[in-house]
Amino acid sequence: MKTMEVRIQRYLPEQHSEPVVESYQVPFDDSTSVLDALNSIKEEQDSSLSYRWSCRMAICGSCGFMINGEPKLGCKVFLRDYAAAGTLLIEPLAHFPVERDLIVDLEQFMQHLDAIQPYIIKEQANGVSEMTPHKQTPAQMDKYQQFSDCINCGLCYAACPQFGLNPEFIGPGALALAHRYNLDSRDEGRAERMPLIGSEEGAWSCTFVGYCSEVCPQSVDPAAAVNQAKVLSAQDMVLQLFRRKK
Amino acid sequence: MSKTVKRSDEPIWWGLFSGGGVCFAVFVPAAVFFLALALPLGWIELSHAQAVKAFGSIFAVVFVGAVIALPAFHAAHRIRHGLYDLKCRSRSLIKWLAYGLAFAASVYAMGSWLISFLL
Repeated sequence: MKTMEVRIQRYLPEQHSEPVVESYQVPFDDSTSVLDALNSIKEEQDSSLSYRWSCRMAICGSCGFMINGEPKLGCKVFLRDYAAAGTLLIEPLAHFPVERDLIVDLEQFMQHLDAIQPYIIKEQANGVSEMTPHKQTPAQMDKYQQFSDCINCGLCYAACPQFGLNPEFIGPGALALAHRYNLDSRDEGRAERMPLIGSEEGAWSCTFVGYCSEVCPQSVDPAAAVNQAKVLSAQDMVLQLFRRKK
Repeated sequence: MSKTVKRSDEPIWWGLFSGGGVCFAVFVPAAVFFLALALPLGWIELSHAQAVKAFGSIFAVVFVGAVIALPAFHAAHRIRHGLYDLKCRSRSLIKWLAYGLAFAASVYAMGSWLISFLL
C-alpha cells in the first residue's frame, strides 16, 4: 500500500496559542477519501484530532475543509487525486472562526440562514392553517428546484471573498435558499424576505466573483441565485417608488 | 440581526454599471476603432469642421451617453468595488469620489454637447 504525507492544521486551545501544522504518513489506495485519511489518523496515530463528519456520502455537509487551499467536502475527494502533487494540506474552512483543529464556529452562517426564513410562509386565514395539500405543477417546481439541493455545508462561505471581508454579508448559501423560497409558488413570504435581500448586507454585497458556484458540491449555483435576487431587489426598489407616489 | 434593515442604494449604481457594461462592450470599441485607429491611419477622412458639425447634432447626445457617461459610471463602480476588495477603509469617500468623477465627466461632456448644439 502506498503512503502519502498528510499535513493538518491543528489548534487545541488548551495546548496551542496559535494554529500549527502537523504532518502524518497515511497509507492509501484508490478508494481512500480525505475523510477516510482523517479517520485513519484519529484511530491509528493521534486520537486528539477533532473534525466534524457524519454520512461519508456528500449528503450531510459536515466534513467541509480547505484541502490544498480549496473548499471541499472531505468525503468527496480522494487521496489519489493528490498523488501527483505528493502532499495534502487540510485546514479548517476559511472565513470562519476556528474552535478546535478542523472544527469551525458556524454560528454566523446559522444566524444568516435563520434571518432569511428558509421555509414556506403561508398567509393563514383566521389564524388557522390550511389543511389542504399545496399543489404544484412540474413547471412551477422547475423554477426553484435547482436551488433547493443545498446541504448547508458552508463551502460557498469559505469560497466567498466578500463574506471573508464582511461576515455580516448574508452570504451565498442563505441568499440561494431565500431565492429558492421566493420562487416557490406555494410561498407567500417574499415581501418579508425582500428587505433583508435588498439591504447592503443582502444580495448587494455580492460582486459576482462566482467561486461559490464552482465549489458547491451540490451544483446549487448560488451565484446565479444571488444575481437573480439582485434583479428582484432592483424591481422591488422601482415598484416602491411608485407605491410612495400614491 | 436587527429587524429594521435599510434598503441599499446599490440598484441605482448597479443599473448604471449594467448599462455602462453594454456600452463598453458595444459602442466603446467602435469609437476606439474609429477615433484611435481608422482616423490616424487615414482609412477615413474627417475634417475638424465636419467633426464639430457632427458633435453639434442631436445624435451626438447618444454618443456622449453611450461612449462617455455610462462607461464612466461603469468604470467608477468597478474602481469603487475594487478598492473595497483591496481593503481601502474610507468606503463612503471612495463612493463619493468614484461616482462624483463619473458624474463630473458626464456633466462636462453633456455640457460641451449642449453648447455645441445651441451654437
